[in-house]
This record gives sequence, structure tokens and C-alpha cells, in this order.
Amino acid sequence: MKKIHLEFSVNGEQRSVLVEGYRSLLDTLREEVGLTGTKKGCDVGDCGACTVMVNGQPVNACLMLAAEAQGAEVLTVEGMQPNPDELHPLQEAFMEHGASQCGFCTPGILIMAKHLLDQNPLPTDEEIRFGLSGNICRCTGYTKIFDAIRTAGKRMAAAKAASVEA
Amino acid sequence: MTKHDFRIVGKSVKRQDVIEKVTGEGKYTGDYHLPGMLYGKIKRSDIAHARIKSIDVSRALAYPGVKAVLTHHDVPKVLHYGSPHPRSASCTKDQYILEDKVRFWGEGVAAVAAISEEIADEALELIEVEYEPLPAVFDVDSAQSPDAPQIHDVGPGGNLVIPPVQIERGDVEKGFAEADLILEGWFEGGRPTPTYMEPNICVADWDGSGKLTFWTSTQTSFMVRGALAEVLGLPLNKVRVLVDHMGGGFGAKQDLFQHEFLCALLAKQCRRPVRMEFTRKETFLAGRTRHPFKMWLKQGFRKDGTLTARDMKIVYESGAYGSHSPGVTNVGTASATSLYRCPNVRLDGRAVYTNTPIAGAFRGYGVVQTYYAIDIQIDEAAEKLGIDPAEMRLRNAVREGDIAPSGHPIIGHGLETCISHGIKAFDWAGKRNADRTDPRNPAIRKGWGIGCEMHGSSAYPGIKEQGNATVKMNEDGSVTLLTGAAGLGTGAHTALAQIVAEELGVPFESVSVVHGDTDVVPWDIGAFASHTTYLVGSAAKMAAAELRQRVLARAAEKLQEKPEHLQMVDGIITVEGKPGQSLTVHEAMGPSRGIPAEHLIASGSYMPTKSYSFAAHFVEVAVDTETGIIECRKVVPVHDVGKVIHPIAAQGQIEGGIQQGIGHTLTEDYVIDRTNGRSLNAGLVDYKMPLSMDMPDIETIILEAAPDPGGPWGAKGVGEDPIIAIGPAIANAVHDAIGVRFHHYPITPEDVLEGLRRKARQDAGAA
Repeated sequence: MKKIHLEFSVNGEQRSVLVEGYRSLLDTLREEVGLTGTKKGCDVGDCGACTVMVNGQPVNACLMLAAEAQGAEVLTVEGMQPNPDELHPLQEAFMEHGASQCGFCTPGILIMAKHLLDQNPLPTDEEIRFGLSGNICRCTGYTKIFDAIRTAGKRMAAAKAASVEA
Repeated sequence: MTKHDFRIVGKSVKRQDVIEKVTGEGKYTGDYHLPGMLYGKIKRSDIAHARIKSIDVSRALAYPGVKAVLTHHDVPKVLHYGSPHPRSASCTKDQYILEDKVRFWGEGVAAVAAISEEIADEALELIEVEYEPLPAVFDVDSAQSPDAPQIHDVGPGGNLVIPPVQIERGDVEKGFAEADLILEGWFEGGRPTPTYMEPNICVADWDGSGKLTFWTSTQTSFMVRGALAEVLGLPLNKVRVLVDHMGGGFGAKQDLFQHEFLCALLAKQCRRPVRMEFTRKETFLAGRTRHPFKMWLKQGFRKDGTLTARDMKIVYESGAYGSHSPGVTNVGTASATSLYRCPNVRLDGRAVYTNTPIAGAFRGYGVVQTYYAIDIQIDEAAEKLGIDPAEMRLRNAVREGDIAPSGHPIIGHGLETCISHGIKAFDWAGKRNADRTDPRNPAIRKGWGIGCEMHGSSAYPGIKEQGNATVKMNEDGSVTLLTGAAGLGTGAHTALAQIVAEELGVPFESVSVVHGDTDVVPWDIGAFASHTTYLVGSAAKMAAAELRQRVLARAAEKLQEKPEHLQMVDGIITVEGKPGQSLTVHEAMGPSRGIPAEHLIASGSYMPTKSYSFAAHFVEVAVDTETGIIECRKVVPVHDVGKVIHPIAAQGQIEGGIQQGIGHTLTEDYVIDRTNGRSLNAGLVDYKMPLSMDMPDIETIILEAAPDPGGPWGAKGVGEDPIIAIGPAIANAVHDAIGVRFHHYPITPEDVLEGLRRKARQDAGAA
């Protein structure tokens, strides 16, 4: 099958790959771009493990053709750190609260939680639960994930307030 | 237990594996891409029981991009254990890699390797299989009928997987004669699946010397090594099994799966690495489930609630192969000797083959089923006798010295403490006396229930387990722990590092853990049975203690002191009574005064006996009498785990177990069409698990009520316990809410509505 030349930005870096037209964004990220942080839990859009951000919107990367990401900006878990020596507040909070057990759902949940907090740094418990309703975690009982998102949201809101004051 | 001023153990230190998980750098099996790698796929049967008359792979083999096709003609004819525990008291050898027979809908009949997954998938369609259908059975009653088709040639016959497990203590007839109240009834449970997030996956690669390197997501890497070596005819040092991070297992990733053998064989034939990854559908079809069960339970009670006799017959549905059925039947049946003390018991446990997917090991291993029934019937008895359900359990809870299911006297009995503590924390009395209506919605009825459990921290005596650990002190004072225990997500490696750091007297950060390479780490029986912290932790503590002696001996030589006068805390070695004299571990280990640098290593091996953890779960539910939907609103799980090593990790285990238990009780059931064996909901949309919106508030309470001398500083297991008590707690709370008793799981909205209709008819009849 003829391959498609695809150019898009992944975590701020311009990438150029050749993929078959039927390739999903998920397989392309994992196998062509070499970023395996995004996981394949079901490949049919049910589990949310492969959630990435495309042009600022969370999507199931398994349900999106790579070709549809032509020219897009894609953010994966590997792009969450502001710099190599610093973690995103969500990553810190996930570690502190034990929100990651087997860790397979974690990349997708981190991206979804980032989207949630980017929209609304201080979500209610109901909003957190609703925001994560498309992401399956089978290990934690979600409780620790909720705790981590609340903690990260508060820190992000405080940091934002501090930067506004400064 | 020695009195100990803990510096690391008991604290929620940063997990060792977690930074990789939150950055996406952690490698799971599917993240390994080898040059030249091929993709394997399995052709699955679309019939539940048949003999393969012929299988034609010529069109598949001719398809461009296909490199190999294997059928039963091409694989070693070695009967193997699906559940490969060579030290187990009973396990079944009833599987071939491929055979000229299929025993369940979805069983593999051929395997393809191709240059892409898509080509492999297309080639599967080109394989032509001609089946001769055989009569099939899809439930344990049909499978046990005298004229049932025999599914296996091995085993004791009559579709039994093993001879019945029969346990008798005391005099059951006398016990019933002494009873003021006798209750009996049937109980039943569906087929929940573990549904770990990472589908089963493996990668096989052979080198020029004929050595197989095998990456796989398994809880039992040494069992994989042993079974692969046995079936492929290789010495153990020619099979290297690697597992780094894994995306959950919950017990079910203990088995040796058909695709693992086939992946190795395809790679050998193609002389290229091959990867085989289950689709999500295949994790249902070819994974492992909990055992569906049917059970008859009869118990006698005195007026004061005391149990006088228990008579139980349980049948576990094994599915097409034995897998863990021997273990599940033994553990599940024996569990009914205990929890609530009863002097007279007569128990009969069976596992029966049917033409359905394979039931295997799953968190709560046979006990989920028995304690569900026992705890519901205890609740019924309390109601009939007019005794508070929590008080009823306190009166009957197992105590010190009672004989445990393992046959050993119980050392440390945490159940009474868990119940008493939970009564206060949950405000049991206040809630049970509260209004059951909801002012916001007249259709809602609230209810409160309790369930209890006890569970062993290890598979002993069913398996003669051994925990092993090796600890190395590097020249700079940093420490490396080598363990064969898999990290399936529980945080066990962190707990092991904490134990080593605590015992050795070094900072937690100076201990790193090496795991998951059978060529390097000490032999391990596998990460299961809630035993890693208990069993491997004890071995790690032994190794660390020996290493500490050797480090102190070396330091003593440098300090010109006697070793017994030295102590090591936080990596600093000091001399008793001489505050000025000290060495860092780094200084002690390095070269000086003609003493060369030294590399110290120590190992520990630990054979466990048996200890039990305990829990009482308190639950609030809200039942919508119009829709039948049961909402679990609040859970207070109270657990005794001996000594807690890492509180947050232990809480996480408990909360995750509650999530799975809520699913089992209310929504999860992998449904098989009982007319043809076909799977009806093999996917994450149709198989309903609790999601974020479904989770209740959980207020986890961990007690250190009954430490066990067998575990490090008294630590016991926690992984399986939380899934056991939540089920009956919910069922009992539902009864409290709407006055309807359910004897099965899952309790669906349809069941609730039907139950309410039945009750209304009964109430009308009574009026």
C-alpha cells in the first residue's frame, strides 16, 4: 500500500513520517515516532489509555487516523514536563498520592487531567469524576487519582495567582 | 515482634517505579520493538467443542508477507500444566499447545507470523478448518449429568477436574440437632474477569546459540521459563524471561498461555523475533476469568447467634481446562471452615470442566465465592434471630488458636478489632437506625450492610513456597536488591526496598531494585497470593541482616572496634559510647589503610508458614426502586494487615479491590451463550466495570491489630483481601434498603425490579 507523507508537531517538535493510510495516530506515535508512553489498552476507543491532545483537545489516538493529524500539534505524556528537570504538577501529585499503580492507564489519564485543569484549575469532585469518565483505571479505585488531580489543581491555581501578582 | 523505631518502614516513601510511569518512560512488553520483528496472530475456533477433521493453511502460507503458519501438526506434543506451579499439591496436566480438538469457543487452532499485524489478520481468514462437532456442555449441572460428554481424557472422570475436596470436622448432624434456627439455600456467581489494562503480550527472540529470550507480561517469570523449557526441550539456562513494567494481572497472568508457546515456536521457525499481542477481545476469549460457582449452604444457629453446624457443597466451573481449578477448589472449600467459627463442618468442593472460557487465578482465589454465601446467610440469621448484624459477626468471629483454613492455629486474630473499629468509624448504630428514604428522591431507598473476610498471605500449604532475595552493597555504599518478584503494579518493589533499607540501616534512596530478568535475579515462585511483601520481604530482611553484619565487620576493622559495638543508622556507622567516632557506609566500603574496596553480597531464602489478614467492610447503598439501579455510596473498609510497610500503596490496593468487588457484585459478568458457548460481551463497552462516576467515597482504615511473626516486622498480605468482603457487604446493604435477599452476583437492575415485584406479591399475600 502506498504510504502517506505526514508532517505534524509532537510535543513541540516537528516530525515527518511515512505511514500507511490506515495507520492510527496511536500506532504511528508508538511505532513510527518512537514515543511509547501512550498505551494501547483496547484499540477501539473504549478505555482511554491512549488519550493524547491534538490541537489542545483530548482524543483517543487509537480512533484517529494518523493522516488526520496532518499539520496538527500533538501532545503526549512525554511532552508534559516543562523541562527535563521538572515535572508537571500533575505528575508530581500522581507520585505523591499513589495515583499510579500498574501505570498503564496513567499516561492517558494524565493527559485528560491536564486538559481538565487547563480548562478549570479548581474542578469540583463531580467535575473530576465526569472528566475522567472515559478513562478506565483497574488498579486504584480512582480515589488516589481524584486526590492527585485536586492537589495538582490547587498548586496550579496558586502558581497562576502568584505569577499574576508578580 | 521486636520493638523497633521505624525510620523507613511504615512511611509512604516515593515509589521506585513511579517516575517512569508518570513520564511515559517505563517500558512495558509492548514497548519493545526489535529489528526485523514479525507479528503473530491466532486463528480461533468458532465452535465450542469439536474435533478438527482437517486444517488447510496453504492459502495463508502463500499470502504475501506471511512467514510461517503453525497447526497442531507442527508443535511439540507435550501435555503441560496451564497453571505451572510444580510445587503445588495438585495441578492438572491437561493442555497441549495445539491439539486436533477444541474445547471452547475462541480456542486457538493455528498461528500465523507475518510482516505486519494486518497481514497476519488477513492470513487467518485464509486458513480453512473443517470441524466435526461434538456434544458440548455449558454449565456445571449439564457437565455433571451421567450422560454428559467427556471433555478430557485425563482427570478423575465425569468432567471433574480433580477428585472432590472433602473436609469434615466435628459432628455436623449433632450440630444441626443443637440448633434453634437452620437456614439453607442456593447461591450462585457469574464470571467476572480481571480485565487488567495491559492486554496479554509477549515477544520472542532466539539467538544463534539456540537461546530463547522472551519478554512477556507475567506474574510468574520463572514458571514461564520452566514451562517453556520443558515443552520446548531446553535447559533452563537457554530460556531467558524478561518482564519490566506490567499493566496489571490480578492473578490471571500466572498461567502459561497458548500464545506464549506459539510465539516462541513461530520465532524459532522464522529465525526472526515475533511479537504476539492480544486484542482486547482476545483478553476475554483467551484470558482467564474467575470461576463461576453454584453452592448449597446450610447452617445451624443457637438463639444467641452461635453457629452450631455448617454443611456446604460448592461446584466451581473450570471451563475448558483445569488451570487453577485445583488450587481454587482447595482454597475456596477450606475457607469455609473458618471466618465465623463453627465446630461442626462438612464441606464438599468440586471443579467441573465445561465448554466455556478458562477460569483461572483471580484475586480472592475461590474465597470470594464461599464468603459471599456465608456472609449473606449470617446476615439472614441475624435478621431472623433479632441480633444486630455487626454484633452477630462479633460473636462468631474467628479467634486466637482457632483452626485456620490452612489447618494451622490462627496466630493473631484481627477480625474482632476490624469489626469493632468499623462499628464506630462508620457510625453503624446511628446509620442502621436512620431513615431509609431519601428526601430528594422518593424512589430511593438507602441501606447499610457489613461483610467480613480473612485471607492468607501466601499459598502455603497448597504450594510449598519460597521467597528469595539477594542484596549487594556496592563500593560507594549504595545498595542493589535483586528480586524475581514481578512488579504488576502493587508497589511491592518499593516495599521490598523499604524493608532492605530499614534492616540494613541505610537511607531508602540508596537502595535500588533489579527485577524481571531470570538470568540475573534469584528464583521466584511468582507474584501472587498476597505474598510478595510477606514472603520475599522476609527473605529480603534476612539478606539485609546478614549484609549488615558483614558491613559492620568491615567497619569494625577500619575503626579498630568490635562489630557488636557498632551501629548503622541512615548510612552512618557509629561506635557505641564514642560520639566522635563514625564512618559513612561509603567510607566503610572504600579502600583504606591497606584494606581493598569490597563488594559484599548476601542472600536470604524464606519458607513461609501461614498468616491471615482480616477485614470488615461497611457499606452504604442507595437503591432506586424505579430503575433497579444500585448505587454504592460509601465504603469504610477496615483492614488488619499486621505491620503496614507503605500506607499509601496498601490503601491503593484496598481501594482498587473495592472497585473490582463493586463491579463483581453489581455489573461485571462475562456472559457466555449457554446454547453454543459463544462469548456475548468480550469488550470494554459490553463488559461493565465501575468507572470514575461509579466509585463511592472510600474511607480506608488500616489497623496493625494482629502482626504475624512470619512477615517482616509482622507484615501480612493485603492485595486480595479487599475484593472479598465488599460483595456480601453490598448484598446485605441492599437487603437492608429494600428487604429483598439476593443469593447471587451480579445483582442487576432487572434482578432488583423482579425482587421488588416478588416481595410486593409476598407482602400482599401475607396481608
